[in-house]
Amino acid sequence: MFNINNTWLRNSLCATLVAAPVAFAAPTYAQEVYPSADETLDWTIAFGPGGGNDIMARTIIDILKKYELYPGDISPENRAGGSGAVGWGYLYGQSGNPYGISTTSGSFVTTPLQADTPWQPSDFTPVALLATDDLVLVVNGSSEIQNIEQFIAAANAGPMNIGGTGTVNVDFIVPTLFAEKAGFEFEYVSFNSMADQTTALLSDALDAMVGNPGEILGMIDSGDLRPLVYSGASVPAALEGVPTMGDLGYDIGVSMPRGLILAPEVPAAVQDWWIATMKKVVETPEWADYIKTNTLTPTVIYGEDFRTFLNNTKDGFEVVLRSVGAID
Amino acid sequence: MDVFGDLLMGLSIAITPINMLYLLIGAIVGMVVGVIPGFGPSAGLAILLPVTFGMDPTGAIMMLAAIYYGAMYGGTITSILLNTPGESATVASTFDGYPLAKKGRAGPALVMQAVASFVGGTVGVILITILAPMFSQVSRSFGPPEYFLLAMMGMLTLVVMIGTNWKLGLISALIGFALGTVGVDLETGQGRYTFGSAELIGGIYFIPVAIGLFGLGELFYSFYVGMHRSGSGGIVQYDKEASFWPSAEDFLTTRMTMVRGSILGFVVGVIPGAGATIASLMAYSTERSVSKAPEKFGTGEMAGLVAPETANNAASSGAMIPLLTLGIPGSASTAVLLAAFMLWGLRPGPLFMEQNPELAWGLIASMYLGNMILLVISIFAIPLFVQIIKVPYRILGPIVVVICTLGTFSVHASFIETYLMFAAGIIGFFMRLYGFSPAALVLALVLGPLAEEALRQTLTISRGSGMIFLERQASLWIIGVTIVLVIVLPLMSRYGRSSGTAEKAGT
Repeated sequence: MFNINNTWLRNSLCATLVAAPVAFAAPTYAQEVYPSADETLDWTIAFGPGGGNDIMARTIIDILKKYELYPGDISPENRAGGSGAVGWGYLYGQSGNPYGISTTSGSFVTTPLQADTPWQPSDFTPVALLATDDLVLVVNGSSEIQNIEQFIAAANAGPMNIGGTGTVNVDFIVPTLFAEKAGFEFEYVSFNSMADQTTALLSDALDAMVGNPGEILGMIDSGDLRPLVYSGASVPAALEGVPTMGDLGYDIGVSMPRGLILAPEVPAAVQDWWIATMKKVVETPEWADYIKTNTLTPTVIYGEDFRTFLNNTKDGFEVVLRSVGAID
Repeated sequence: MDVFGDLLMGLSIAITPINMLYLLIGAIVGMVVGVIPGFGPSAGLAILLPVTFGMDPTGAIMMLAAIYYGAMYGGTITSILLNTPGESATVASTFDGYPLAKKGRAGPALVMQAVASFVGGTVGVILITILAPMFSQVSRSFGPPEYFLLAMMGMLTLVVMIGTNWKLGLISALIGFALGTVGVDLETGQGRYTFGSAELIGGIYFIPVAIGLFGLGELFYSFYVGMHRSGSGGIVQYDKEASFWPSAEDFLTTRMTMVRGSILGFVVGVIPGAGATIASLMAYSTERSVSKAPEKFGTGEMAGLVAPETANNAASSGAMIPLLTLGIPGSASTAVLLAAFMLWGLRPGPLFMEQNPELAWGLIASMYLGNMILLVISIFAIPLFVQIIKVPYRILGPIVVVICTLGTFSVHASFIETYLMFAAGIIGFFMRLYGFSPAALVLALVLGPLAEEALRQTLTISRGSGMIFLERQASLWIIGVTIVLVIVLPLMSRYGRSSGTAEKAGT
């Protein structure tokens, strides 16, 4: 394979590869009606059951079945391993197959930055970005800090310890960019999981932490944790009253993409079919429920705009991570 | 008291026929996933989670919880019979469990482990019932400094294990620490010895290493010494004359071990992230340090099996406390349970028990019943399992290889981990041949990364000052307990021994 970093060249190359067979070779897939009820949709879930990616994939599959939006059988397979490298690597190998599909999550962007995966996020055929995972900055409920202004003032007086999950992760990027814009310094403390960092914050070892609100809403409700600021464009209902970083004038524009992708180089007609179908999916009450339960930010963009979004996210990550020496 | 009203209400929910059926299914599935090496409770839970989607949440959570603690019963069976831990929390059970089986006491060892599991599990649930709010404070007081100290306490087990052959033991431990450095460095995000491989980003998972070193290593060694040629002789001595049931002495000498193991296991289990593995190792080393005959440990001492078995079951109950009272999963298995709660739209957190009393108390009540069911199943199943040791080695050997391979592969469906398991098997054979300590290697592999990460987090937080260990109350407690365990108790037991009049049951 060519390893092309020039997106223009890559896009036009993909376009040629896709267009050429459609125009001249009349491939079997394009001629038949898509989707054919005889073909089983091979749905790759790149993580184990019970995780965020799995829940999203199965939610979409349930909606497709319930509203009879997909005529054939759908076979969801958990192909976990290597932080998504195995599952998305499998889909990458299905190049051109219109019946190979998968859902993305944060690792879709971060895994290729950490390991020599043969694929890059922009290699796949983008269908839609459906939602983003955004983060909330919280302090211990017993802390003297009541709001974000007090937090920034305190952080200016002496650097704070802020915990998050992992380093090559949005948990590190978000507070780094926010601190840069708001003009304070902090020490980032990296943990293996949300559970570890929450425990550390409750024990007063940390001053604050960032995390996806879904897992800690119970503790926010009970007052054990106090939310200060949210990184998404709009605040989920459960966090009403908490300002966004944008409200403060410190918009950082980075979040984790939860979307839908097809195998590389599938015909444009197939991509269009899925875009039209996902437009129906996001209108269902089941989808609204999913967004609400998992406190995601509904951010919907389709097709090539999603590819651009993925590229921007990856570039943004690379710049920050390279500047701190996490990747080379 | 209010608690008993709640418990009765929970019992009335748990005892409905349909919920009892779910509980029974969960207990049996848990036993089975526990028996298969490598295929531990978290993998079993994750695979069965989608099955429960359409079910009523209360019944489903009872079933999932039963799989979780049921695996602790099954996990020991292969530790005792094949020297192959079924999952991580039963590594410590091989230390004396396998020697017991070799001495011809496989039956009593299996029965005692079931009893120990029952005692640990039940004491754990009793403590949850009456002390959940108090212990939620314990879960809240642990930060990186305390985890580091806890990991250091765990490492004292290493010293115990290395024993007299300290040079070989030290080398074994160092290999384990070295393997523990593989993977993405948590603090800087840089890959260490990953060679660009995506499969190594997460580091070397210790399950394939443990299965290879213990299971295959032992197997290769047995072939090397020619056990397959010894005709009908099974994997271990099988003495027809010896009793299948444990003697009264087995119970008498281990009753205080069970008490200590239950309490220690529960407290460690309550600490999120420490879990059943560390609890079982700590119980083993504590038992050895209070024992009047520590030199007998490792040669088939019943207390050496009972201690880790009681502790790992008590710890799996204890781990329900941070889950129920804070919404923090203390282990990989409880993380899957948390995902299940969230799938049903429940919001775990400090208000969870108040807002969902029926589910919470139904679950707690079901754990009493589940432990009883598991004890009964174990007692019935043990005569079947004991048959394994009568199978000639030349037939059993290849089957063990297949089971180890399947078990390892099924966890993450990873070929790299399967290769690793075989490589560990070959290394395990040479370690056995030349007297190295596979246990020290596995322990170092588990505790090394934990200690490293916690220490670096601690020093980032304190800006490099070690005084943080003396400024936090919880840290001081751990240091105090460590001093008692390491210095005071051994001195006392030594004094007791030299005076020669210590009572048999231990104090």
